[in-house]
Amino acid sequence: MDNVLYLSMSAAREIIQAQAVHANNLANAGTGGFKADFAQARAMQVYGDGLPGRVYAATESPATDMSSGSLDRTGRNLDVAIDGDGWLAVQRPDGSEAYTRYGSLEVDAAGVLRTSRGDLVLGDGGPIALPPFETVLIGGDGTVTVQPQGQDTSNLVQIDQLKLVRPDPGALVKGPDGLFVRADGLPEPPAAGVSVVSGTVENSNVNVVNEMTEILALAREFEIQLRLMQSAEQNDEAAAELVRLG
Amino acid sequence: MMSALWVSKTGLAAQDTALRAISNNLANVSTVGYKRDRAVFRDLLYQIQEQPGGLSSQDTTLPSGLQLGTGVEIGATQKVFTKGDLQATSQPLDLAIDGRGFFQVAMPDGSLTYTRDGQFQLSEEGEIVTAEGYRLEPAVNIPADAQSITIGADGTVTVMLPGDNGVTQVGDIQLADFINPAGLQAIGGNLFRETPASGAPLTGTPGNNGLGGLLQGNLENSNVNVVEEMVNMVSTQRAYEMNSRVVSTADQMLQFVTQNL
Repeated sequence: MDNVLYLSMSAAREIIQAQAVHANNLANAGTGGFKADFAQARAMQVYGDGLPGRVYAATESPATDMSSGSLDRTGRNLDVAIDGDGWLAVQRPDGSEAYTRYGSLEVDAAGVLRTSRGDLVLGDGGPIALPPFETVLIGGDGTVTVQPQGQDTSNLVQIDQLKLVRPDPGALVKGPDGLFVRADGLPEPPAAGVSVVSGTVENSNVNVVNEMTEILALAREFEIQLRLMQSAEQNDEAAAELVRLG
Repeated sequence: MMSALWVSKTGLAAQDTALRAISNNLANVSTVGYKRDRAVFRDLLYQIQEQPGGLSSQDTTLPSGLQLGTGVEIGATQKVFTKGDLQATSQPLDLAIDGRGFFQVAMPDGSLTYTRDGQFQLSEEGEIVTAEGYRLEPAVNIPADAQSITIGADGTVTVMLPGDNGVTQVGDIQLADFINPAGLQAIGGNLFRETPASGAPLTGTPGNNGLGGLLQGNLENSNVNVVEEMVNMVSTQRAYEMNSRVVSTADQMLQFVTQNL
């Protein structure tokens, strides 16, 4: 059987995988703090006898686009966005530490600060518990201040400071739950100088035009691969014809 | 089949749900005491097809793997408890809460619900009730011959009776507060019910312990911002269109397979 058929089949299959990456990016164009994934094809040469023509393609997601999404003004005190570089540290239900840029925070029934997906928000020394409060304020450096219930505005109490980190961009990978973790699995130490903006949330950083174009381009590439498969079929038919003539 | 189809299907479903939340907000733009819902999008689990850092041979590791996302979902609709604008009505039984807190309403089954809608009326027995006729808790009875009703910032209800130069106190309105108001369950009719997420109600006198004071003759309007909702609607619609475009692209790819192979 002709090798071309298998090569173009593998390419078509990998294009479908890449299509899934871009479709996921587009589906998450409205997910706050979402970071778009890249997809690229890698040449996977199979060594052996004959011409070095067996180079299969493999799709991989080499990295995630870590650029900041647009900031959306909400006016809610517990919405925090990170201005510039940096990440907000949260604790997953299994106790491991992860990082996110989506700071739509909530207070649960016990007064503990959580993200909208239910992960605990980490402060200087673990989760942040707030006393019954009238208003809660988050400062530019992540300082959490409350006006306790029954106190006036002159008696603000500083509770904790959000754990803000600034890892090396290459050190973070996206986990299966969409939160980011360090590739080596270690917790990142808090970093000074990460600033947050209260009353704002970060949107998805997906560039919809870019994703749409990629999807259309991949669809055309897919068609090319199928044409190649058709050509391989025609070649086979022609070969069979020759045999019949002889 | 093609996973892109299913991924964009989750995108379509999520945008559809978001549009439903937006349309509900817009429909309630003039509902007194209404708090807007915000749809919270969340990315679904990722499938690891090829583990980053896996061994490609005994001495080498794969520099990057392949993780395929499976789409998006609406993780929650979050009630946003920002303040609505106050509207002066001059009606003696229209009350607004200036700050935190909820009015307590006794349901016909005896349970308590909570509301920020202060459009109260009198029942035929002279009790202060909501528009549905549910009694305000603790109960306040206004005598039938009361000439005027005054409700103070601290919830004290006084009336002026005929032939009496002074005022008579007939009741106290108490407010309830929750540590996490966003955890309350909205049950319609401008009412909320306590849940394990909201925490237990803390009742008290209006204007004390962090509770807002009462403003007689005022109502708190819906906190829906029409412009913001319209902008959300536009971006939701466009996101929907793009996801449906992915569906048709994936469909064309499959069609190409069936017609040309």
